[in-house]
Amino acid sequence: MTGTAATPAAWREVWWLRRLARGGGAWPAVPAVLYLVVMMVLPLCVLFSFGFVTIERGRVVPGSFTLEHYRRILADPLSWLLFWRSFWIGAVSTALCLALGYPLAYLYTVLGSLGRKILLVAVISPLLTSALVRTYAWLVILGGRRGLLNTLLLSLGLIDTPVRILNTDLAVLVGMTQIHLPFMILPLMAVLAARDRFMEEASLNLGASRVQTFFRVVVPLSLPGIGAGTTLVFAVSYTNFIIPQLLGGGNYSTVAVKVYEQTIVILDWATGAVLAALLLVSCFVFVFLITYATDRLTAWSERSR
Amino acid sequence: MRRPALERRRRPPWSPSDLIGAGVLGTLAALALVVLVAPSVVVVLISFDGREYIGFPPASLSWRWYRALWNHAQILDAALVSLRVAAHVMLLCLALGVPAAYALVRGTFPGKTALAAFLVSPQMMPGLVIGISVLFFGAYFAFRASHAMLVLSLTVFCLPFVVRIVMARLAGLDPALEEVSAGLGAGRLQTFWRVTLPQALAGVLAGAAFAFIEAFDNVTIALFTASTRGRPLPVELYYLVQYDSSPLVAAVSAFEILLAFAVVAIASRTIGLERIRT
Repeated sequence: MTGTAATPAAWREVWWLRRLARGGGAWPAVPAVLYLVVMMVLPLCVLFSFGFVTIERGRVVPGSFTLEHYRRILADPLSWLLFWRSFWIGAVSTALCLALGYPLAYLYTVLGSLGRKILLVAVISPLLTSALVRTYAWLVILGGRRGLLNTLLLSLGLIDTPVRILNTDLAVLVGMTQIHLPFMILPLMAVLAARDRFMEEASLNLGASRVQTFFRVVVPLSLPGIGAGTTLVFAVSYTNFIIPQLLGGGNYSTVAVKVYEQTIVILDWATGAVLAALLLVSCFVFVFLITYATDRLTAWSERSR
Repeated sequence: MRRPALERRRRPPWSPSDLIGAGVLGTLAALALVVLVAPSVVVVLISFDGREYIGFPPASLSWRWYRALWNHAQILDAALVSLRVAAHVMLLCLALGVPAAYALVRGTFPGKTALAAFLVSPQMMPGLVIGISVLFFGAYFAFRASHAMLVLSLTVFCLPFVVRIVMARLAGLDPALEEVSAGLGAGRLQTFWRVTLPQALAGVLAGAAFAFIEAFDNVTIALFTASTRGRPLPVELYYLVQYDSSPLVAAVSAFEILLAFAVVAIASRTIGLERIRT
């Protein structure tokens, strides 16, 4: 740096170049970003474009462009029925997950360290067990006249003849709720465990009852967690096709089931692509609406505090 | 800001409605716990049933389904395929995810938050969509469903686990040690290998365990991208469950549940289960 003929301006240029070359330490992330661009973003583009072209024997016919697939599918009342059923299953199982998950996440925050540990294992280990294994477990529990539930209900004398649960809406809902419950509980646990207990104590000291404190203080403070859990559970329930296929019986169909059938069994890729694209877009719209609603609720509850 | 300590004694007495509320809450929590745990317990119990069909409670205790499993070449082959796939996915995820997590925690570049969101975005993507889009993408370039395609598609899904867990671990480390290393004349790469990585090893291990099991278990993506000849275990089970009503699948499931517990044990030893929560 001594005695060279470099002017300050030139030095600044070099400095900028070095800074640019170092990229603020962004370089190590480049391979991962490139990977996702090639293996996720580009495939998504292909998925969306496959709805607009003619495909023959797994090959795109060059130069073909058609809106026919969309017209055909959107004009078919069956598609609308399938979308309605997917939405209904997603919404009800999300509500059930919230009703079961919230109390458990709350319980987590009042337990001691051993209790917390046991609860965490109980919540995380199902998450790591194959969804297929857990669906199979529900086949065993709900299935047939010798299933666990029927045996239990019969021996308790609650019913006289075995009830049919498998291959109904109820079976799909039960399976979905159990399998997606950890997705609801984990964000709720995070938010509830980090909450400020001061407000609750204050509320109780000011004479509010415990029920009032729970609904007026604890629940509003945990709205971000409710939003996170709800969007996650809805997204996975709305697009799951394994559970409806196995627990709903052979002819129980949702949009996701239809996408799978069209693509893998019937090999009508154009229909599969259109339905998958519509499923993804509508899923994002619902997720956005839920996020927007919880954001507004959070803002409103903060204002009215 | 310091807040005055509030005395617990000044809490009001339990009213009847409080008791009912607590009862409802407790009942729902207990139900949730049963619903979470019961299926695994039932499956493990069923796997020891000596009968030909699925029934509950098990009539007799026997190892017959485990013996049957040992002689079931198709399932064993599928398990081997799955182990290979999961190992490859895990390595690929580590190679891509660990440097990325390092950049996201230590880097100072504009758009860092957006980049982090992009790298974990596959978690918000339904498995169905990842599977079908990789299938179509491959078909467009005349690639067939194969081992490579399965590994590549599962890596998309598993990468966020490594990125998130390693990021959480790195964020908890003191950058001062790295600065000292750099100050003593070590290069960036040397500092990373000798100082950063050993400290972050717990997060890397936990991330690897998660990536491995998610790849091993995945059925939604695998149904689209696995080839029919080298079927991985979840796909094999998916077909088996539909026509086989013996406890054989329960025996396989018991192994998978054991594997899940192994990963939970690894995670709780390395970074603690609390960290995974977020």
